[in-house]
Amino acid sequence: MRVEWSNWLSAAKMLLAPAHPVCLFCGKAHAPSAQTPGICLACESAIPWIKAPRCRTCGRPVGCPDCSRSRQPGPLLYNRSAVSYTSEMREILGQYKYRGNERLAQVLGLMLDRAYNAMQEAMENGSVSRWSYTANQNAVLEADSGLIMGAASPHKIWSSLLPRKRTDRWQADLLVPVPVSSTRLAERGFNQAGQLAAVLAARRGILQLPLLVRTQHTAKQSFKSRAERLADMKHAFAASTDSALQGQFASLLRNSLDSGRPLRIVIVDDIYTTGSTLRACAEALIRQPGGSLEGKVEICSLTWARS
Amino acid sequence: MKVTLYAVRLQERWELWISLDLQVDMLWWSGAGAGVGNSIIAEQLVVLSPSLPLGWAVKLRDSWKQAVAMESWSSLHWRSYAAAALKAELKQEQRGGGTLEWLPLQAVRRYERRGNGWAVNETQPCEITNVSEVAVETVAGPGAAWLAGLDEAARQLAAALEGRSLLQPEVEALIEERLPGLAGQWQAAAQLAQLQGRLVLTAALACGERAAPLRLPWRGASSRRALPRCLRCGSAATGAAACAACGLAGCAYCEACLALGRSRSCALLVRSAPRPAVRCTAGDGTAAGLQRRWGLGAAQAAAAAAALGVLAERRGRSADSRPERFLLWAVTGAGKTEITFPLLEAALAAGGRALVATPRRDVVLELAPRIARAFPAANLAVLYGGSPGRWDRADITLATTHQLLRFHQGFDLVIIDELDAFPFHNDPMLAFAAEQACKPGGSFIYLSATPPSDMQRQTAAGRLRHAKVPVRFHGHPLPLPTRLRAEAVHHMLKRGRLPKALLQELKHSMERSAQIFLFVSRIVHIDPLLNLLRRQLPGAVIEGTSSKDPLRAEKVAAFRERRITLLITTTILERGVTVARSDVFILDADSSLFDEAALVQMAGRAGRSKEDPAGRVFMVSPEQNRAQRRAVAQIRAMNDAARKQGYLQKEKR
Repeated sequence: MRVEWSNWLSAAKMLLAPAHPVCLFCGKAHAPSAQTPGICLACESAIPWIKAPRCRTCGRPVGCPDCSRSRQPGPLLYNRSAVSYTSEMREILGQYKYRGNERLAQVLGLMLDRAYNAMQEAMENGSVSRWSYTANQNAVLEADSGLIMGAASPHKIWSSLLPRKRTDRWQADLLVPVPVSSTRLAERGFNQAGQLAAVLAARRGILQLPLLVRTQHTAKQSFKSRAERLADMKHAFAASTDSALQGQFASLLRNSLDSGRPLRIVIVDDIYTTGSTLRACAEALIRQPGGSLEGKVEICSLTWARS
Repeated sequence: MKVTLYAVRLQERWELWISLDLQVDMLWWSGAGAGVGNSIIAEQLVVLSPSLPLGWAVKLRDSWKQAVAMESWSSLHWRSYAAAALKAELKQEQRGGGTLEWLPLQAVRRYERRGNGWAVNETQPCEITNVSEVAVETVAGPGAAWLAGLDEAARQLAAALEGRSLLQPEVEALIEERLPGLAGQWQAAAQLAQLQGRLVLTAALACGERAAPLRLPWRGASSRRALPRCLRCGSAATGAAACAACGLAGCAYCEACLALGRSRSCALLVRSAPRPAVRCTAGDGTAAGLQRRWGLGAAQAAAAAAALGVLAERRGRSADSRPERFLLWAVTGAGKTEITFPLLEAALAAGGRALVATPRRDVVLELAPRIARAFPAANLAVLYGGSPGRWDRADITLATTHQLLRFHQGFDLVIIDELDAFPFHNDPMLAFAAEQACKPGGSFIYLSATPPSDMQRQTAAGRLRHAKVPVRFHGHPLPLPTRLRAEAVHHMLKRGRLPKALLQELKHSMERSAQIFLFVSRIVHIDPLLNLLRRQLPGAVIEGTSSKDPLRAEKVAAFRERRITLLITTTILERGVTVARSDVFILDADSSLFDEAALVQMAGRAGRSKEDPAGRVFMVSPEQNRAQRRAVAQIRAMNDAARKQGYLQKEKR
């Protein structure tokens, strides 16, 4: 009998080689990425990160005619996104949102977390044009968000031990996910923005409150033109009337104003296309049932993709 | 989704039902059902919950065990019964941090029948009260006329869904396209159809089997056994997430078939009730008759006749009998498609429905016109990812194997073409789907030139009936591969020179103006080899293609039209491409990426036409491994069988 050494050798190599986990993007067992657990190195290096936004307002990596054309001041200060919405990223988002591969939530959330870094930098460098409360701005020394968080989360304790941690970084006070309609929620089973915000909230120790509700069921945005989206979105959102939520929000707001600065709210969504959804959400947040919050809050948005 | 779960007392027994529309059930059991097919009148009806997660409701229904004195059970009794049946689920939900109030006591409602209507009984049976003294409120609702009107809708819905297994969004898409009149009230119609036994409503995931009786470590296969199973694709549902549709913190979902819409434990799966299979009999099933009728060769006709014999057998009537399996083992270039025509005709003649499934979409598109031409009167549906006409009813369905997930016991005859090809090979999900698509008493025909080894073993052991077509349609033997000892491709590339023997054979092939398939095992070798060959064989048109080549279709077309002399490629072209006058060179034939089946298929690219039946095949490698030896042995065995049975032309004349 002829022994086939090559087979034996390859079998022995298989035993000794590390077992790679299956990549959530490409489905192959390749060497995993350390920065973004869940996907492989090859897929990670192919992600079209927005490293240097050219439009300082909406975080677009290319020149943005929308923002320079019609920039009437609104409650939404600026936006930052993690990746450009290329066809590969569209495929990934489709896998997650429409096909329901919820394991991707963690990966996409971690990617969003990187965009949060960009947001912090933008805030600290003051490269962002502010809409109001310039008077307050200098007075604000980054106290921290511990005050708002109450008890420190385990994550916070752990990360505080890390040497390079800067405690004086800009930190958001509150994450608000863009809501989906109840029909869509029943159909899909989850709110993608809520899941992404949850990942970010857990990593950064920021509170997440579903302060917004969708008042009307609009058809899928992806089938509409820019003008249709803008018109459609005007009154699609409202502040939640849940009294427990309102109470929590009111105390957050009080705490923040007591420390002499506006409450920093970050609206989270999966994709920024025209920004109409996010602007409508910001307007709805300002129009609280207890009266307008103009001047008391600072609203910006964070999305996974920017088209 | 959430559904209503109720228990109903019929004379001496209790039954548990899930409902999408309780009004239909109330009428059905009250006596109004007499007009639409129900002869049983219920006495008592207990709604356990108006909105229970579908997965749990289905588990309760399917694990239903009647106990004594149920008519005197209080809400608390019912709840503790349900809690016992859902013990594992409740525990898991609690561990996942679920906060669902799953069966609130105050929501349990008891109804007593009063004539043709129902009265709510607000008292608990354990409090001894005379029911007649309690203020009973008669439930108002639509009447018997409404139910009778719904009967037609239920019949239409069941007919449209016959043989299918669809998730709720798919059902809605089907209704929108085929029964637009039903759009608003399909749930009521589906509920009536369920009560009538025309449809089966269930959850897309079935609860796992109980864990192994031995206390094995809780991992590996034993933990997977306890997971819910996807009814569509048969995989263990490995995903779980909080679900807004049913309110559970851990609503399981199947990750294997996500591409066809998410199948989760609270997703409604609608199936038609199984129908018995018809016996597929043919008018003239003899080999000679088939040769005349379909123009088949002697070997083809003999195999077709054997398959027809299996189709025409009378099957056991029991519902859980498995479909009869039959393997048609036909060599490459034998004309497999033509052999299936008499089988399809037999199924159609008996009024049955037939399915031809193949793993690859391009094969579907290639077969469609041929079948349409052979059966001009039959209704043909062509299904693949994103194809139009998904919901049409058809006599012959031609589909990629993934589409079979949407069928359940819908076909009397299932033919699986190229079952050993990627992705069907080694994918238990598709094998499961294919078996599900066949009616229990139906027939299942596999077509292959290179059956997987377990199937070959089964045929050898007599456990799988089969017929062999050992000869090509032109009656010449298969070309036997010649071994050419030469160094491995990466050595050739390193030295920058082709081995002399290989170069000589390539030149010889070009001199006899044959086109050359040059197979390599790795895509990375294609480009450097292309440069090397162009340098060493000046004057020849040489191209390379692979699965990663965007111009693949164009290059293959050019090769077919003889505009390319030599095509370097990988196993992607091992099947499907037929070129009249061709020679085959397999480099690195000892690569582990080439198994026996791949080698036989690649060798099968040569000598396909009547004009040039003796193509040349070379296996170029430094070593000869088992796959190579077995491939040569398989080809030789087929040629021997053909010779023995007198199918070869040489011996005939």
